[in-house]
Amino acid sequence: MWNYIIRRLLWVPFLLLVVSFISFMLFRLGPGDPVLVILGNKYDPSSQSAQNLREELGLDKPLMVQFANYSVNFFQGDFGESYRYRGQSVRKLISAKMWISAQLSLAALVISTTIGIPLGFFIAHKQGGWQDPAIVTICLVVMSIPVMVFVPVLLWLLCLKNLWLPFWGGIPCSGWGGLFDQRIIVPALSMGLPGVAVFVRLMRASTLDVMKQDYIVTAHSKGLGPFVIDTRHVFRNAVIPIVTILSFSLAGLIGGAIITETIMGIPGIGRLAVQSVFDRDYPVIMAITLITAGFFAIANLLADITYALVDPRIRYR
Amino acid sequence: MTQNVKTEQEIKSFKTKGHIHRAFDRLIRKKLAVGCLVILGIIYLSGITVDWISPYGYTDQDYTQIRQSPNSSHWLGTDRAGRDVFTRVLWGIQNTLILTFVGMLTGGLILGVTMGLVSGYFGGYIDAIIQRTGEIVSSIPTFFLILIISATVRPRIIEFVRWVEDNSFLEGLVRGGIVDYFVISLSLVSFGWIGTARLVRGQILYLKETQFIDAARSIGVSTPNVLFRHLLPNAISPLIVTVTMGMGSMIGAEIFLSWIGLGIQPPRPSLGVMLWESGNISVIRTEPWLMFAPGSVAFLMVLAWNLLGDALNDVFNPRTY
Amino acid sequence: MKKILLTSLCLVILMVLGCSNDAQVSLDVSTDDRKEQSTKSVSSSAQNTEKSQAQSTQKTGGGTFRRLWSDPPTLDPHLTKDTTSAGIVVEIFSGLVGLSTDLELVADLAETWDIDSTGTIYTFKIRENAKFHNGKNVTADDVKWSFERSASKETASPVAETYLGDIVGLKDYMEGKADSIKGLKVIDQQTIQITIDAPKPYFLAKLSYPTSYVLDRDVVTAGGRNWWLENPVGTGPFKLTEYKIGERIVLTRNDDYHLGPIDIHKIEMYLGGGQSMAMYENDEIDITGVGLFDLERVLDKQEPLNKDLVIAPPGFSISYIGFNTTMPPFDDKKFRQALNHAIDKKMIAKDVLSDLVVPAYRILPIGFPGRSENIDGLSYDQDLAKQLLKESKYSDSSSRPRITITVPGTGGTLGLDLEVILEMWKQTLDIEVEIQQVEWATFLEELDKEALQVYAGLGWEADYPDPQDFLDILFHSQSAQNHGQHSNSQLDDILERARVEQDINSRIELYRQAEQIIVNEAYWVPLWFTGEQYALIKPRVQGYVLTPMTVPKLSKLKISE
Repeated sequence: MWNYIIRRLLWVPFLLLVVSFISFMLFRLGPGDPVLVILGNKYDPSSQSAQNLREELGLDKPLMVQFANYSVNFFQGDFGESYRYRGQSVRKLISAKMWISAQLSLAALVISTTIGIPLGFFIAHKQGGWQDPAIVTICLVVMSIPVMVFVPVLLWLLCLKNLWLPFWGGIPCSGWGGLFDQRIIVPALSMGLPGVAVFVRLMRASTLDVMKQDYIVTAHSKGLGPFVIDTRHVFRNAVIPIVTILSFSLAGLIGGAIITETIMGIPGIGRLAVQSVFDRDYPVIMAITLITAGFFAIANLLADITYALVDPRIRYR
Repeated sequence: MTQNVKTEQEIKSFKTKGHIHRAFDRLIRKKLAVGCLVILGIIYLSGITVDWISPYGYTDQDYTQIRQSPNSSHWLGTDRAGRDVFTRVLWGIQNTLILTFVGMLTGGLILGVTMGLVSGYFGGYIDAIIQRTGEIVSSIPTFFLILIISATVRPRIIEFVRWVEDNSFLEGLVRGGIVDYFVISLSLVSFGWIGTARLVRGQILYLKETQFIDAARSIGVSTPNVLFRHLLPNAISPLIVTVTMGMGSMIGAEIFLSWIGLGIQPPRPSLGVMLWESGNISVIRTEPWLMFAPGSVAFLMVLAWNLLGDALNDVFNPRTY
Repeated sequence: MKKILLTSLCLVILMVLGCSNDAQVSLDVSTDDRKEQSTKSVSSSAQNTEKSQAQSTQKTGGGTFRRLWSDPPTLDPHLTKDTTSAGIVVEIFSGLVGLSTDLELVADLAETWDIDSTGTIYTFKIRENAKFHNGKNVTADDVKWSFERSASKETASPVAETYLGDIVGLKDYMEGKADSIKGLKVIDQQTIQITIDAPKPYFLAKLSYPTSYVLDRDVVTAGGRNWWLENPVGTGPFKLTEYKIGERIVLTRNDDYHLGPIDIHKIEMYLGGGQSMAMYENDEIDITGVGLFDLERVLDKQEPLNKDLVIAPPGFSISYIGFNTTMPPFDDKKFRQALNHAIDKKMIAKDVLSDLVVPAYRILPIGFPGRSENIDGLSYDQDLAKQLLKESKYSDSSSRPRITITVPGTGGTLGLDLEVILEMWKQTLDIEVEIQQVEWATFLEELDKEALQVYAGLGWEADYPDPQDFLDILFHSQSAQNHGQHSNSQLDDILERARVEQDINSRIELYRQAEQIIVNEAYWVPLWFTGEQYALIKPRVQGYVLTPMTVPKLSKLKISE
């Protein structure tokens, strides 16, 4: 077991190296030049200013040297400086923006799980009844609404038509402030509600699985009340596999947030990611790719370990 | 020899045909699923036949009819340039339809299934290479990868095709949008194959140990034959479920891509671009049809695929039902 | 081992669930008091200083001006090149000269200046009372050091050459061939002399840009590359008291400001995004622009918002379609003119864009200094357009080369105006145009290679109020921003003469001639003069001037409660 975990952990840096090489090369071989983007269409790209800038950013060196420099710095924890936000360290920039998105994702996850897990648990007990398909269908309906429509409709419904909630904006994002601000509700709903369906399905399947297990049958035959069995045995065991999905949800925070962040004008990591691709802000792109790749690798590892623990029949190869 | 063929067929018909048939019967009994099939049929048919059924062209502008709300001559109203929204939505459907099907066929099915089969059947270092590649690709965030590919690789390909066009008798490849379709599908594919490959691989690993494959191999059936005629048909039911469920997210990805500005080139309309132009709160106040027309079509498509996938899941995995 | 893992996993779940309860409860409760608490704790240090200031200057008003903004790419004046940064930088820092809200050149750190008879030697006398925010006096050495920092290799400012390039010896210094800029001379602690390479009347206007702002040497060298994040000491009317990425920027007034007392106490800029219009209606911010979709509602006299409506002069910017005049069919003047005359810009501006833009028939924007009114523009005339097309070399559509228009497309859409224009060309002139949309970075690369036949989606915005900034930079055949390879020796000659013409009237006349040539040659299809045309400002805010350029203006504000 330990052997397996160590082997998997050793794979992570290698994976990061390959990922960074791929994204590095994709950009360098494609069109677009960060110096030109910084200068825009307004300033002369052949001027001495532009040349100094290119030297300063290290873009005049051969590709492989650039990559080697970057990798060495990266594994020492230095992510470089952003091109767009000149002089700002990428680490600082990303951690500030990521924190904003992390709060959103966390709030969204809270919404998905607090609705999804109990619902899934509930309908697993109503197998064959009308509640089961009805709830699954409703969740799927919510999941299928395009976010680009969902966000404006939510805003209109909750903030404009009924004035129940304030609009997003000017929210304290550092610290835990944002999480407890009313304004986080709308973006969190728009990101969290579509996810309910996922958790309902998973929890339902997982609960049904647990209910068939021998120890539950034993508990029943011991004469334990259904409530005690549900809370003490079924729920606890059924919820464990869901945790692995949670780690994936957190890791996938970038993709899910892009649309909501763009529509609502939230300056989070999703918008930064898109913007950095368009701006050819290489250090930021690389850092975001590598950080999420790292998250995914760890989430994968966690998932595999949990599966192995839950189901001892899975062997570590 | 005849004896062998007969056994083969027997195995096949026993293992697959009956299974699929029974599943189909069960599916037809579900009203919701049938409803979804009908909705998808209508939407896709109108998308395919848009050239014949739409009353206007997608760039036709009528400056006397700017921002009309839905009426008898413009069923879904007109936009700020006086173009018929209904027509543009239909063209958008066609766009989404082509992209998602091409993406699903090439990526989800051909590439994914082949990779899965090869990986599962041969095992060893081939398996390791394919699995590791999948892991690397899937660890780059999906949307980010799509974004990067369409931002960097696409211009290079278009450049190349334009060069080909200029130096040969070929014409209109770029203008007709063929290149666009190809590249966008490519970027959708880049993440589409991994899930399928893993699924197929898992099925194959399980099936490989079963007796009928042993039997087939012991009577000298060739490797491709074993793969495609014996193993694949047995892995088909979970495959159908994943593909169906995947279509929903594939459509979502396509809409996202054109929403962010990396989809099909204008003036061809696409649902994503229409949603970009009108997906804000002020539009709800003043011209709601501009948002709800493309929005609800996108919604219906995704919903129908999702519900269908759910129904198929029930049908093929009755264990959980 | 397994148990530990399992329990830790359960703990995680419990934590998540526990959090959720907390969040759920607090989300439902009104968060007014919570909000107050958090703002208090967040900026307690800032508030202490505010309090003392407020006590000492209570009579001269106060109040806070709130607006939406976004994260500035930089607040280092020497690196500033965009309006998001400049909008803040001009309030914190300042230079020898500045622009007033009427876009006139005014003295800032310099009290007076002399220009010698050759028009190349400028002598600036620095104000006695000019002080940095940390109390130090501004000296001629500071000015010299700031110029040299701005142009240095290490700073690698993208704009140094554009704004300072006229100074003698700058080029050598930027290339690293010289240790100092030859054209800068410190006479005494209050006097600095700047020598430029030719008598260019627009040099002073260029000095109003942040590239030549004056910084405190000690602060900058001590602070390293991020000095402005830690300790942004400037000479402007406001001090930066708080900057949290993605959250907010707070500016507090500088009580020792050398240009007199300031009434308003604090500027809060929210960087967290939001729906500007809605926030304005909720009284969360004091100013908002009005977008296309809200315009009709706001213009309605019945609407209470209508009272707050302010109409701004159009910005000093123009959007256009550019032609590469070396590529057929755009090498034919008549063909270009035909395209120009075929567009009904008035209709588009009115019906499609709801009058948010002003149709442009020429190059220099309305109200731009040095603009003369008598220019024959490229007006809408279908018959003339058809006539011109017939006379051109490319009247036959079958033998006409393929036309591809390239548009930068990070927004996801071509722009309604452009779609209408393409349709007009097709209907009136039967000219089919292929569209190619590429994202911004790719677009710039192609543009730089001068590989684009027709390009749109570009705008030009003034950096300093002088016609040279438009006509010379965009149309001189040697200019790098002349992306369409326009080349006209007569035009070049006029532009070169206008550069060094000392008499203001003859200079304006020269630029009139130049603009008329440009218009006649139809190098562009000028489309719109754009800008923040309609805005809403809360009635309690007084003195906010909407200007077509970024100039320091917040110090003039008054808030009446």
